[in-house]
Amino acid sequence: VKQFLLQKFWQASLCFFTQLSNNQNPINLKQPVILNVCGLDVFLVLQDPSERKPLITQPNPDRPLNGTDWSSASQPTARTDEQALLTSILTKTALNIIDVSATDSQGMEQHEYMDKARQYSTKLALLSNSLSQKKPTPLPSLTSQPHQVLASDLVPYSDVQQVSKIAAYAYSAISQIKVDAKEELVVQFAIP
Amino acid sequence: MTTSALTQGLERIPDQLGYLVISEDGVLASAGELENDEHTAGIIMQMVRTACRFRLQGAAEPPFKRMSGRLNKTGHLKSLTLPHTNTQYYCSQHDANQHSVLSSVMLEDYVYTVTVSGQKVFVVKRQINQRDPVVV
Repeated sequence: VKQFLLQKFWQASLCFFTQLSNNQNPINLKQPVILNVCGLDVFLVLQDPSERKPLITQPNPDRPLNGTDWSSASQPTARTDEQALLTSILTKTALNIIDVSATDSQGMEQHEYMDKARQYSTKLALLSNSLSQKKPTPLPSLTSQPHQVLASDLVPYSDVQQVSKIAAYAYSAISQIKVDAKEELVVQFAIP
Repeated sequence: MTTSALTQGLERIPDQLGYLVISEDGVLASAGELENDEHTAGIIMQMVRTACRFRLQGAAEPPFKRMSGRLNKTGHLKSLTLPHTNTQYYCSQHDANQHSVLSSVMLEDYVYTVTVSGQKVFVVKRQINQRDPVVV
């Protein structure tokens, strides 16, 4: 499923860029774009990794740690550890989040569209190779003598009856499978 | 194979009450009690597509040549047997609402037999003449 969605995503992106490359007016691509891929709305943001500004600025490493600071650090060690932990979590999250607010509106040149379109069709070709094997398989031929097979003796009724009974028991057993909840699924996450 | 060549053989099957020849595009031929029965054709095609995906131990072919079974009132295939192999494999499919399957003797005296050949599905409704003594 993931491969399929990925392929659909690249197809949609390719379509989008092909349309853009035909358009004369440069369009601001820093704005997020919503594409519809297989009924899912995909939020597409195009951004150069080098242009990403971190949401949270790193703390000033030059801050002097003199005697006065030590006194303020006389708080229990647990609190400062907690702070450091929180800060590190925040920093990690901020690094992974892309800011979608439109800041500068630099348009993309025509040739950049073409480049992107080419990039995406290469990606698409790669994915298509792996996906083409998943086409719906045609019906296998069970026999070359359908009339003979259909005309031959029927399965004895007692056999059918026995098997239906077994299948009914199996169905009943399967339908009784259920989850036995023992503990809470969601708990409070406490930092000691 | 022309349609008449396909159906001639089916017509001659003893105790047949009707038949269907179905392709991916739809019903190619129908007769008897199954004449124009696209509803049954649709159900059986679905069953065939599912059953043809069965494989044993990484084999390339489905492990059966013919399926037979009945349809209950709501049109779900009630039981399915797959003979014509060295060992017999059975499977059964039930309507979600059915609570008990074998509460009574099966009163219907027919069975649908189904096979696939050359991208076409052949269905014959056959009458069951000999009844084994009922096991209660």
